[in-house]
Amino acid sequence: MRRLSIALCAAQFLLLGATTMIAQDSSYDENALRIESRLGDLQIVRGTSSTVVARAGIFRGPRVANLVSSSEHALAEARVFERNYNPGTYMVAAGIALLGAAIGAGRIPDLNNGIPSGLLASSVLLIGFGGSKLESAYRGLSKAIWWYNRDLRR
Amino acid sequence: MKSRIISALIAGALCVVIPASTAAAQRSDSSRYDGQALRYESSWGSAKIIRGADGPLVGTAGWFRGIDVEKVVAGSPAARAEARAYKSNSFRASVVETLGATTTVVGVVLAANGSNNAATPILIIGGVGAMVWGAQQFHTAFSALSRSLWWYNRDVVRASLSPPPAPVAVPTRESEQAKRN
Repeated sequence: MRRLSIALCAAQFLLLGATTMIAQDSSYDENALRIESRLGDLQIVRGTSSTVVARAGIFRGPRVANLVSSSEHALAEARVFERNYNPGTYMVAAGIALLGAAIGAGRIPDLNNGIPSGLLASSVLLIGFGGSKLESAYRGLSKAIWWYNRDLRR
Repeated sequence: MKSRIISALIAGALCVVIPASTAAAQRSDSSRYDGQALRYESSWGSAKIIRGADGPLVGTAGWFRGIDVEKVVAGSPAARAEARAYKSNSFRASVVETLGATTTVVGVVLAANGSNNAATPILIIGGVGAMVWGAQQFHTAFSALSRSLWWYNRDVVRASLSPPPAPVAVPTRESEQAKRN
């Protein structure tokens, strides 16, 4: 009787350990996120099945905070991404538009030279500042996904 | 009676040991992930490979430069395959982008100098087309890099869940001498 109960307890111990390992393992395989880019389109993909769970539209970033809300650290980084992505995109777009305007203004004869120069300087500033905002956004996204994948197993 | 008490004690001990060992396993699992898992940050067209959330920079990849990603993720076969895809796409993208940019600049310079021959628009359109295709190749390369690091991190998780390998006896000079004697 005693031997049977010891054997049963040992089997339960081994079984529980194995189930925990398999559960944690499959959790990463099925739920871990990563970033992919198809035809210039930013996508967030889940698991080995590569299910697209979020994608960036024109002037609209993917809703990362909703995706990673289960992890506190990830949520904080996702907010950094969401705070910087849209302003960064708008600034870079405005900068490119101003660059086009500067080139166009430069071709107009008898136009004050200050106008194309001013447009060019503004466009460089906007592209530079917007670019750095996008850099911060992508850094936040990378960290958010890393933290989310780390906290999957908890 | 005695056997029942012993059984109850064993069951009670297991109830305490199982949750404690699971928590300890999760702690070691997290610390292993924290110390080894990789991620990448895009930075003005190149990718910085970083270990951990704020960890050390492992290397920078992209535009004709880069660390050997295959070497970094050598421990995971699936990650190695994606790293190879990254390497070939990244090299192709760098070559095509450079050719495209050069062709576009030549076309723009010729157009600015007032040379109105048919080659000028062909050079500009061809150059811009090559740059767009090259950018697409860069996107494919970075997706492969992302998948490579994903597989690598997955194998870090797996390794932390499996029991540590049994210690292997390293032959020392004394043991070799004793064997010969």
